[in-house]
Amino acid sequence: MKVKIAVTAVAVATALAACGAQQSGGAAGAWPRKGKPVTLIVSFAPGAAVDAAARVVAPVLEKELGTNVEVLNKPGAGGQIGYTALTKAKPDGYTIGATGSPSVVVSPLDPSRGATYTRQSFLPLGMQVLDPMLVGVAPGSPYKDLKALIEAVKAKPKSVTATTTGVQTGEHFALADIQQKTGAEFAPVHFSEGASSAIAAFLGKHVEAYVGNVSDVKDLVAQGKIQVLGVMSAERSPFLPDAPTFAEQGYQVEGATARGYSAPAGLPDEVRVKLESALKKAIEDPAVVAKMKDLGLATAYKSGQDYSTYWADQETTVKQALPLVRNTKS
Amino acid sequence: MDVLADLLGGLATALSPQNLLYAFIGCLLGTLIGVLPGIGPVAGVALLIPLTLNLDPTSAIIMLAAIFYGTQYGGTITSVLLNTPGEAASAITTIDGYAMTKQGRAGVALTIAALGSFVGGTVATVGLVVAAKPLGDLGLRIGPPEFFALMVLGISLLVALAGRSMTKALISGVLGLLISMVGIDPVAGAPRFTFGSERLLDGISFVAVIIGLFGLSEILVAARGGTAQAVAPGLRALLPGRADLRRSVPAIARGTGIGFALGLVPGMTGSVSSLLAYGAERRFSRHRAELGSGAVEGVAGPETANNAHANGALVPLFTLGIPASPTIAVLMGAFLQQGLTPGPTLFAEHADVAWGIIASLFVGNVILLVLNVPLVRVWTSILRIPYPVLTALILTFMVVGAYTINFSVFDVFVMVAFGLLGLVLRRLDIPLAPLVLTLVLGPLMERSLRESLELSQGDLTVFLTRPICVVLLVIALAIAVSPLLSRLLGLRKPAVLAEDPEA
Repeated sequence: MKVKIAVTAVAVATALAACGAQQSGGAAGAWPRKGKPVTLIVSFAPGAAVDAAARVVAPVLEKELGTNVEVLNKPGAGGQIGYTALTKAKPDGYTIGATGSPSVVVSPLDPSRGATYTRQSFLPLGMQVLDPMLVGVAPGSPYKDLKALIEAVKAKPKSVTATTTGVQTGEHFALADIQQKTGAEFAPVHFSEGASSAIAAFLGKHVEAYVGNVSDVKDLVAQGKIQVLGVMSAERSPFLPDAPTFAEQGYQVEGATARGYSAPAGLPDEVRVKLESALKKAIEDPAVVAKMKDLGLATAYKSGQDYSTYWADQETTVKQALPLVRNTKS
Repeated sequence: MDVLADLLGGLATALSPQNLLYAFIGCLLGTLIGVLPGIGPVAGVALLIPLTLNLDPTSAIIMLAAIFYGTQYGGTITSVLLNTPGEAASAITTIDGYAMTKQGRAGVALTIAALGSFVGGTVATVGLVVAAKPLGDLGLRIGPPEFFALMVLGISLLVALAGRSMTKALISGVLGLLISMVGIDPVAGAPRFTFGSERLLDGISFVAVIIGLFGLSEILVAARGGTAQAVAPGLRALLPGRADLRRSVPAIARGTGIGFALGLVPGMTGSVSSLLAYGAERRFSRHRAELGSGAVEGVAGPETANNAHANGALVPLFTLGIPASPTIAVLMGAFLQQGLTPGPTLFAEHADVAWGIIASLFVGNVILLVLNVPLVRVWTSILRIPYPVLTALILTFMVVGAYTINFSVFDVFVMVAFGLLGLVLRRLDIPLAPLVLTLVLGPLMERSLRESLELSQGDLTVFLTRPICVVLLVIALAIAVSPLLSRLLGLRKPAVLAEDPEA
């Protein structure tokens, strides 16, 4: 581990050196300079899904760019620490970051969190993963399908408890979206420790409905421990071919966790083009796709432009649901 | 006896020269990671996953699992020798472990910790083999209300940690709760006591606090000539005597029970286990009066508990596929990257791999013991370094440790601030253990309380209608009022307590 520390120290030192060198004006055409590493900021702790994905992508990206790519974890405050570091970095292509929504969309919308960035502070480079939300109940639950569940909750608001991974997380917004579009108001129980504690509470039958991502429940479905009533995506998930979508059952609700990579806004165009194409190759690399599949994550590449559009759309949805999410707090 | 046959088959896999080598490397790496403060099991395992990606799945997981429980032991070494916890679960060991070092009994402390870790880890693995399924289901019965009751029970042990003065213990405990309040409210999402700093949104880092509170403040006190300096043990003092062993047995037994049981509960961390084991020693040990001044139980209990916890936490992973703690979540990520899905399906689809890994847990525990007992001599020789040099080294170590928690200088300042606070508290004779107890349990208690109330939609009777919950709360109440009761009833204190220097 001494070596590890040394490596980190070197990485930090080079990153600092990189910042200094930039001021003497490196021509963008020469990007990336040999031996000058690209830092990939991951705003979550080592081991989180975002981190795992970044570490799978980094080696291929390294090959494509011809320079080292160092994954740097800056965890904390639901991603806000890392996102701040990313948006404050020099837009020279030597610092990029993994961005996950809705966390990156939500944090600047809540003034009390004091985020210093907005959507415009990021330049989306490419999207890697789209992990749809779903609603499930225990097998043998009285709710045989989505309609039964939603009608029951409509008739008696807050009569069914549902998991989220915290206030203003994707799950919470999904519940708000369901409430807006169907009128069914669930009673959210916020498990701020994350999906695994939500799953434990669901399996222990402490909470009736599970709301989460497809990747969380893939294995539970195989074990017959959860009955997925509806997936919030346009098409059925390749991981859960037997689970119907919300749309199939007449509810226009869509929601997903999207993960991709972005640079700080203001990146020179030539650098952007190079980074975008390298990321595209890395994300679509068959070995990377296979590894991601093992992690339960479906690769859904979107270019920087499309990712941008998706990001903006998601922001609109979130803004609409925001008052509702705030209200359910009390 | 299918299980036995499967296990023997697994042993054959685990004992292959190649897998033995990986288990050995893993134990060694894990111990080193544990020794470094700041880099705990989570970051350590995550950072080393890439090393294992090209191994075959069984070897890779064997190595990572070995790293994982190796860190649990490694953390003890710095706690005992340098009074600087290498990782959170060993924080409480510093109290008696370092006191033993000052008496020249560091070798005894480390050997007992290794023995306790071995027993705790092995018994927990037996539990995993024999009754994984029912135990996994039992863990699930602990929902948010039961979790809350468990935390109340833990906090009630504060009465056991109080030294001379209950008032001072309460001051310390409340201070811990206050510190644990800093950061984003876990349920409503609003920032608390952050003073506009986004560094504080995540709260104050526990590891930085304990490094400062225990390690730095100790050095500051010593610098003013306040305490005795560490004594390098002679060769004879390396091994525990018969009395040490006899006294450790009940502590190891209690530690195993507490660690294993809490390991089964999803969301529980190893630090809770070691804290509660220490609290239990303070409350129930025959030698409880000596705790705090270098009693072997104060090392045996918590160190056994954190290893039993580490192995117990594998039960929910293998039976249900849920990671019960952050470290296990990282380990689960490694399974997935190898194309293995932890959970009951693992036994159906890759039985050989699953049993190979379980068997390697036994093997790994033996390796850890064999590796560490001879190494005790090496580690304790650190104490032969002249004290001024050693102090400088420890300070460097603490700064690096605090920095590596989040790779931020902020935590270094937190560490320094808490070192100063520790100095003040020591001067005022306010015990530090209650602060650590509430700092660890406070956030878990708050979270589970609010989750429970969301479940019941504000109905407080949720805590009184669930049997497990009620039992836990009654025990907590009994512990909390026990000092009061014994005084009211005028019970004569047992002989041991009468000699209590702190009484």
